[in-house]
Amino acid sequence: MTLKHCARAGCALAALLGASPGAYAACDAGPGVLRGSTSRVALAFRTDPPAIKVGELFSLEAEVCPEAGTSVTGLRVDAGMPAHKHGMNYRPRVSSTGPGKYTATGLMFHMPGQWQFTFDVETPAGRERIHVDYTAQ
Amino acid sequence: MRGAAGLTAAGFLACGLVLMSSAAVAQTPLPGPAPEELRNIQRHGPWSQPVPRDPSNRVSGNAEAIALGRALFFDPRLSPSADLSCATCHLPERALTDGRDRARGGGAAKPRLDRNTPGLWNVGHGRWFGWDGGSDSLWSFALRPILHPDEMGASAAHVARLLRGDANLACRYANAFGRAVPPEAAAESALVDAAKALAAYLETLVSGASAFDELREALARGDATAAARYPDDARRGLALFAGKGQCSICHFGPNFSNGEFHNIGMPHMVEPGRVDPGRHGGIRRVRADKYNLLGAFSDDATRASGSRTLHLAQNHGNYGQFKVPSLRNVELTAPYMHDGRLATLREVVRHYSELNVDRLHQDGEALLKPLRLSDAESEDLVAFLRTLTSRSFPDLNPAPGPCERRGA
Repeated sequence: MTLKHCARAGCALAALLGASPGAYAACDAGPGVLRGSTSRVALAFRTDPPAIKVGELFSLEAEVCPEAGTSVTGLRVDAGMPAHKHGMNYRPRVSSTGPGKYTATGLMFHMPGQWQFTFDVETPAGRERIHVDYTAQ
Repeated sequence: MRGAAGLTAAGFLACGLVLMSSAAVAQTPLPGPAPEELRNIQRHGPWSQPVPRDPSNRVSGNAEAIALGRALFFDPRLSPSADLSCATCHLPERALTDGRDRARGGGAAKPRLDRNTPGLWNVGHGRWFGWDGGSDSLWSFALRPILHPDEMGASAAHVARLLRGDANLACRYANAFGRAVPPEAAAESALVDAAKALAAYLETLVSGASAFDELREALARGDATAAARYPDDARRGLALFAGKGQCSICHFGPNFSNGEFHNIGMPHMVEPGRVDPGRHGGIRRVRADKYNLLGAFSDDATRASGSRTLHLAQNHGNYGQFKVPSLRNVELTAPYMHDGRLATLREVVRHYSELNVDRLHQDGEALLKPLRLSDAESEDLVAFLRTLTSRSFPDLNPAPGPCERRGA
């Protein structure tokens, strides 16, 4: 599932899609938080800076909230422009900062337009993929 | 005053009406820019902008280092054969290029090199240097022609001897770096310092505002009268550039480049049997370069300025990619493309108009499509590109005064 977001005022965070609120409470949206989910895992993240600048490196802090009884063993982060069929020119590095919490550095959107984050959440039951759309201005 | 977003189509229509009355001809006013086009236009400024200090270069912005760099830039003794300076290929009278398709090297052979000489105006606003981005700083970029055997072919020892042996250069070096030129045993340190002084000079090569910038500023403040001074054909070309042509997606921002690399379907055979790998080779080179921003010669103790280098991704699609050049002053820097194969701006526009998508990687950019421009549209696009020529340039080589040793 995807979550539409753009950096401009008035086009901020759209509604949550598909998450069951109780299990994912820690991943609920707040100011500046982007969010995506599958039926089993929710993910919330903030970028630094909050408004991503084209051509400048940024980082993000993510929190993964699995459904009850499931743990998170890892996270991979990537992004691309589906309409252009290309990814980033930089490979982010992800590090764990606590249970279900991660920091990714070294991301860059080098063109304006529609980007899509891809989060691969590793759980004992397998990989859950979450896409989150973002419009870089 | 109104902001950019507040300048409506009606406002732009007024520009057209002003033009009509002043020219006393019955023309249909040009339609105003759509909000998205207006936003795209505003992204290309403000201009001009000074180059930010480079944390990897401790003499970035240092006036004494700039003077030393300027002296070295024009000094043919930088090459052991004393016949090739930076300015031999980056000619001031040719907008700091050489007018050739591919550069010529130094020494007796003067070999034909693989690529076009890049212009240097506004070079400090880049983040990767050279057509393949094989250098991640301006100072490591300056080192390349000094050391390359087909260009100056100098050594660290040669550069250190030059600095030590010329009283004026030695004085400027001491003022800039706060020490005497290092001895022979530390010649590499002197070489890197020379490159950092050259980089400090190159950072000052920022050109002035252009007719486009005047239009942009007029639109930003809602000044229809000033906006109306911008030529009609260029305005139509700008609409193509920022709209249907999608040129501004890669030629992005105030310097008209996103600073990255794309495959635009240019042949990349240097000669039969030899391919220019473009960005793929550039990534390989910058990673292996002991002078990169992650190495010991960077003055940035945090190495934060090396983050881009640290996170570089390399993939097969990098073959045939070359850097998106700035379009500022593009009218002055013919011929075009990484190997100078296109002689004129009209040929460049024709390339995008008739783009051969079969030349693009299958896993490459899907943005590029043949624009199928009419002749009139092509002329308009060229007219727009010509409005990116700066109205003023700083003096490249003012006569330096005698060097006086500070603190001696």
